Amino acid sequence: MKARSSHARVGRLWAWLWVVLGALYFIVPLIATFDFSLRAKKGELTFLAYERIFKDPEFWRTFTFSLQMAFFAIVVSILLVVPTAYWIRLRLPRLRPMAEFISMLPFVVPAIVLVFGLIRVFSGPPFHLTNTFTGTNALLVAGYVVLALPYTYRAVDTGLAAIDVRTLTEAAQSLGAGWGTILFRVVFPNLRVAILSGAFLTLATVIGEYTLASFIVGIKAFGPYMSLVGQNRTYESASLAIISFLLTWAFMGLIQLFNRGHAEGQLAGAR
Amino acid sequence: MRTRKLSFRLVSLVILVTMLLMSCTSGQEGGVSADDDLVAAAKKEGMLTTIALPHDWCNYGEVIETFKSKYGIEVNELNPDAGSADEIEAIKANKNNKGPQAPDVIDVGVGFGPQLIAEGLVMPYKVATWDTIPADAKDPDGYWYGDYYGVLAFEVNKDVVQNVPQDWADLLKPEYKGQVALSGDPRASAQAQMSVYAAALANGGTLDNVEPGLEFFKKLNEVGNFVPVIAKQSTVAKGETPVIMRWDYNALADKEALAGNPEIEVVIPKTGVIAGVYIQAISAYAPHPNAAKLWMEFLYSDEGQLLWLKGGCHPIRYNDLAARNAIPDEIAAKLPPAEAYAKAVFPTIEQINAAKAVIAEKWMDVVGADVK
Amino acid sequence: MSSKPISAHVNEQRDAPPARPAPAPWRDWLGVVPFFLFAFLFIVLPSVYLLIGAFRNSAGAFTLKNFADLFTPAILDAYWVTIRISAVTALAGGLLGFMMAYAVTVGGLPNWVRTILSTFSGVAANFAGVPLAFAFIATLGRTGMVTVFLKTVLGLDLYDQGFSLYSFWGLSLTYLYFQFPLMVLVITPALDGLKREWREAAENLGASTFQYWGRVALPILLPSILGSMILLFGNAFGAYATALSLTGGFINLVTIVIGSQIKGDILYNPGLGYALAVGMVIVMALAMLIYFSLRRRSERWLRQ
Repeated sequence: MKARSSHARVGRLWAWLWVVLGALYFIVPLIATFDFSLRAKKGELTFLAYERIFKDPEFWRTFTFSLQMAFFAIVVSILLVVPTAYWIRLRLPRLRPMAEFISMLPFVVPAIVLVFGLIRVFSGPPFHLTNTFTGTNALLVAGYVVLALPYTYRAVDTGLAAIDVRTLTEAAQSLGAGWGTILFRVVFPNLRVAILSGAFLTLATVIGEYTLASFIVGIKAFGPYMSLVGQNRTYESASLAIISFLLTWAFMGLIQLFNRGHAEGQLAGAR
Repeated sequence: MRTRKLSFRLVSLVILVTMLLMSCTSGQEGGVSADDDLVAAAKKEGMLTTIALPHDWCNYGEVIETFKSKYGIEVNELNPDAGSADEIEAIKANKNNKGPQAPDVIDVGVGFGPQLIAEGLVMPYKVATWDTIPADAKDPDGYWYGDYYGVLAFEVNKDVVQNVPQDWADLLKPEYKGQVALSGDPRASAQAQMSVYAAALANGGTLDNVEPGLEFFKKLNEVGNFVPVIAKQSTVAKGETPVIMRWDYNALADKEALAGNPEIEVVIPKTGVIAGVYIQAISAYAPHPNAAKLWMEFLYSDEGQLLWLKGGCHPIRYNDLAARNAIPDEIAAKLPPAEAYAKAVFPTIEQINAAKAVIAEKWMDVVGADVK
Repeated sequence: MSSKPISAHVNEQRDAPPARPAPAPWRDWLGVVPFFLFAFLFIVLPSVYLLIGAFRNSAGAFTLKNFADLFTPAILDAYWVTIRISAVTALAGGLLGFMMAYAVTVGGLPNWVRTILSTFSGVAANFAGVPLAFAFIATLGRTGMVTVFLKTVLGLDLYDQGFSLYSFWGLSLTYLYFQFPLMVLVITPALDGLKREWREAAENLGASTFQYWGRVALPILLPSILGSMILLFGNAFGAYATALSLTGGFINLVTIVIGSQIKGDILYNPGLGYALAVGMVIVMALAMLIYFSLRRRSERWLRQ
């Protein structure tokens, strides 16, 4: 008995050590940026740089726009990746290497090549996507889904590895569930953590993304707006980095809260 | 009844007078005003798509705002961080696209002029003030035309560096250890390449021999003065790269933006003063050709040229403006002293492109290899 | 006692012995059509231009020269440096990320720590490019907060000792900022999948913590760890903005060379840029082949 509880205590100390070290590594560069952002006025510490950003209507407009794009990108990513990864694990394991390779392609195709490729393929016949506002935004969302694909696929695949897909499916089928039910009431809930990871990564990818947004919608998106500020407004760009960091973090917290109502962990993988 | 008729007449009279006055004032600019038909056609198109125009580069922010409010045309700004090659690629990728991703007008380095024509990327247009643009800064058929120029200068953070360097040779002094940086990658950025080019001129090179410039940077790296980071306003302000080389108008824009926090000094070096010209052109595939032409008329009118001057750039019609005393004093005061410009050297397109090729090829060998 | 890890036995008992699987009926392929169609439309088609362009020279004629140019020492060096930095940060990021993820899942820390870590990791995993480079300049540059602190308080001058942020190791340190949160996010579901019963069963059989990890937990986790590390490798391999902002092209990375060919202000050679990108695809494919074979080995006894 005693051995086990001291086991646990040592284990916990070890865990805290890692968290503290990690926290230091993460926080110190942010503190350095924050410190710089407070120096908009010579010789004194002031939030002037933050004021200027918050008073800028373009900040709100572009952040909202990118947030909307992120929402659509997350939904499309999840709807695309989860059923596919699940299906491949279950029925078509030979396709797994191919799917994984495809999911890694966005890393090696430079964003600048991707954006011009997308424009070339989809602006002319037969798609004509860029002739309408909605079409242009749809193209942008598709591009974002591509950029986030490596992360979402890997997160979902790892999540699937941790649950026993075959047994769950067979159990559900033996209870008479159709594929829709299996997907949405068995698979998705069990992959909650993995899906959340993918959603976080997609959100962060979209908010900060520059190349795709700058050529498809220009300074309407948040990434190009950040670049515009960064070019000639030093203190504002530092404060903007902190602000976008905090805001994105807050939104992830919201997503996490949305998940909180349900049991932590997974049906098939309780700690 | 009577009062209504009267007020109706009064209102129409007011409108008429206002219109007359407006047309009169528009006639006072630059001697020639934009053609009314062109304005109407441009307004019908309703939008202009630009690319690669940072707001503090030659005061483009104010230029765009003024254009928008003057003509009521929406301006769709793409990629403000784009390089010249990005702009050209954007035209090529959007050949079939009439949507808002296709740039109507571009602003690129002068070295790209011949390529624009050779690849059929631009359409010819001669603005009303065409004749006042110097002959060596435009294509005779009107495919491209110089818009502004500046010279390469040192931007120095005076709060960190007490002894401001005045010339290229000063940069090698030990007091500047770990303080000197370029504002781009010489293999890709025009500003960085011109820095090497200018260093060449100051160290025994000529417009046709850029090797001494590479040697200079090699030496700068060897004595430990060179910091291998791309310098921006933020790294200068932080004090990480207190001495950098960039176009004088960008340095002046930084000085104004930082407003003394920290104190910035813009120094045009005593030797090795190289000037760089940028050019405007209208895309051959522009979805809004009339808006593009109106934009050009605006840029090359006195009003447009003076807005660029406000940003510290020398507009291409500078000599014409000066000769007609059209430059207000407070704007003239923003420019660096004219004597510094007396020594400015303007390389030809062929010389620029040849130098760029040499720099791009040899940079890594001469300097990069030591930076590990 | 067989030499197989304990969990394999557990799994074996739960799975019904699998009948020889019939070849998947065509209807099964329908399930993956949306994904592959999407990939075809939005990844493959746009990249076709990349492939075609790699075979073209600046005049537009067919040429193999771009690929031949890949074998010049400068470019081979670029590939080597890029592979090195990707491997280093994948390993280091993988290890550190794993330890962090372990700390908040199995390590028994309160729930709020885990929430903060996972949301923070989400943001940090994409905090790359100019803001990250500046954050590190502000921390470890010559005038950085930590550098100055060490100099004034501890009398230790980092730069005199030979450290420089603007070097391979400085860049690696910066890359870790987005590498190890990525690892945390991606490996957490796998750690969640470690059943407590397994640990208890192992302890009941007399296994020490070391033995539990060495023979139960890590073997189960290995495929996921490998998968996450290959993700980190790819992530670093394709990184562009951070490297450009921090070391400005002075460290010879493939993405930077591509950028200077495609985006530069000089008379550029996009054909070479495209060939370089095709080279990257090939390197990535090779890395994935290694990963597949390693993973197949590690999954062999899991029978999933």
